[in-house]
Amino acid sequence: MHRSRAYRGFIAPGFLIYTLFMIIPLGVAFYYSFFSWSGMGDMIFIGLDNFKKIFLEPRMSGIFWNALGNNFSYMLIAIFIFIPIQILLAYLIHIEIAGHKAFKLMIFLPYVISPSIVGFFSLLVFDPNIGMLNTFFTMIGFQQFAGAWFGNVNQAFPLLVSVIGWQGIGVGMVIILANMKSIPGEVVEASIIDGASIWNRFWRVELPFLKPSIINVFVLSSIFALTQFDLPFIIGGLNGGIDGKLDFLNLVFFRYTFGDSYNGETAIGFGAAISVVLFCIIFSIALIQNLVLKRLFYRDEI
Amino acid sequence: MKHRRKAGSWLATVVLTLYCLIAVILIGNMIISSFKTKQDLLFNTFGLPTEITFSNYDKVIVEDGFFSNFINSILLTASSIVSLIFFSSMVAYGIARYRFRGKAFIEMYFLIGLMFPIQIAILPLFIIMRTLNLTNSFLGMIILYSANMSFSVFIFNQFFKQLPGALHESALIDGAGEFTIFMRIMMPISKPVISTMALISFVQIWNDFYLPLVFLTKKSLHTITLAIYQYLANFLAYWNYVFAAVTLALIPVIVIFFIFSDQIIAGLVAGSIKE
Repeated sequence: MHRSRAYRGFIAPGFLIYTLFMIIPLGVAFYYSFFSWSGMGDMIFIGLDNFKKIFLEPRMSGIFWNALGNNFSYMLIAIFIFIPIQILLAYLIHIEIAGHKAFKLMIFLPYVISPSIVGFFSLLVFDPNIGMLNTFFTMIGFQQFAGAWFGNVNQAFPLLVSVIGWQGIGVGMVIILANMKSIPGEVVEASIIDGASIWNRFWRVELPFLKPSIINVFVLSSIFALTQFDLPFIIGGLNGGIDGKLDFLNLVFFRYTFGDSYNGETAIGFGAAISVVLFCIIFSIALIQNLVLKRLFYRDEI
Repeated sequence: MKHRRKAGSWLATVVLTLYCLIAVILIGNMIISSFKTKQDLLFNTFGLPTEITFSNYDKVIVEDGFFSNFINSILLTASSIVSLIFFSSMVAYGIARYRFRGKAFIEMYFLIGLMFPIQIAILPLFIIMRTLNLTNSFLGMIILYSANMSFSVFIFNQFFKQLPGALHESALIDGAGEFTIFMRIMMPISKPVISTMALISFVQIWNDFYLPLVFLTKKSLHTITLAIYQYLANFLAYWNYVFAAVTLALIPVIVIFFIFSDQIIAGLVAGSIKE
């Protein structure tokens, strides 16, 4: 490593586009949130009114809280159901159960499939009239199991979450798996010689080594959960599916920001306020990760 | 380390096999259906085709202009990857190989994009793009995909950091300029990282839905992902064609995934571990 001004020449071009197209937009979103603006014409400074609208005005706040609730429900499912499944899957592949190589590939595969194709698949499976599931149930004579699926208020959300999970679960799995592979063999051998059961070995010996990857997956999943857009939009449509069951913050944001052609109402300031709220939630999660999680998990080292 | 296979692990194998069948059935059914006539699809939905027809492909590629969507996706993806790698590798190189004031800050600065997905900033971004006349333009999209460089900078940074310093010094003594050293010495030895980044970006940009949805509203500029979304919106009218369109869109990704899966997975994992 050496001193020379040449670094400026290397960093400057990237710095420019990164700043102009990533960092400034992030900052400006804050600024817009204090204005009433339809995207054209005058911007009127209205202070915190957009935020009041989000939190207090009955209709808007209803939409906002419903969507945020869905984001959080999905996040909790990702943390308390998907992460344990990801750990289990990684472990099964790690201990090399029969077929582990194929499983790793096939479980990861949906991740490389575009969301619009995943949307197409879910239509193919769950469509009430022509979908595979209903056709299958009718074929084997169990019509009573055929359902409306995404058209059913109670099933829509869990179904969507399963579809999202099907597509994304492989990522966390391979991250945790890579971490498992880095556990020193001697440590595990020692525990086997000491007569630890498989369960004890996993719980007491291997799991503590997995903290870094689990924290990473936790944060990635949380951010992913809070910024859901593609699949809910493709499957449920811009208005958040039946009874708002498939509505997420990013959809609400999209509706009011680019919504003119969809529902005749554009409110850029309101949209920006939503993205600021989203920003703050993600920022707090990053903070929680840095302060709480690390302290909690790395207690011994501090 | 050897593990004895127990009854429980066989149970896991069975369960996972069934789970993986979902993908196999979906993709297999899609390919088979793409060769069926509309009649066949209606009355023989899940069986093998009674007659094999290429008319769906013909209709999709020739009449519907799906071919141009395909070309759009290839052009956009390829040039974005080149541009992203160019900008981000230079940034990473500048950070990793030089000592200067504020280095730690710059390193952090380029990581911000990893924490905040671009969706949050989409609105101001839209206004910037509109002001610069970059909406409905591939150039605009290429710039956006290049600007979204945090992940790539991080990966290149890790790589450049661990190269020996002597590499650079000996080239300097030979009188090579800084940029020449970068292009002639550093780029060739970075081939493994470049190809990993190219693969990961390929998957992400090829499949990207959000940015094209916002910035490419003109139909002639639609990428494959958007074209398929359009088909879905008119699903019932077109449903025998959709299978052909989806097959065309999916095959390149699947082929690349199966050839390079190790590299793709390793690259994604490397980017997620910051410690």
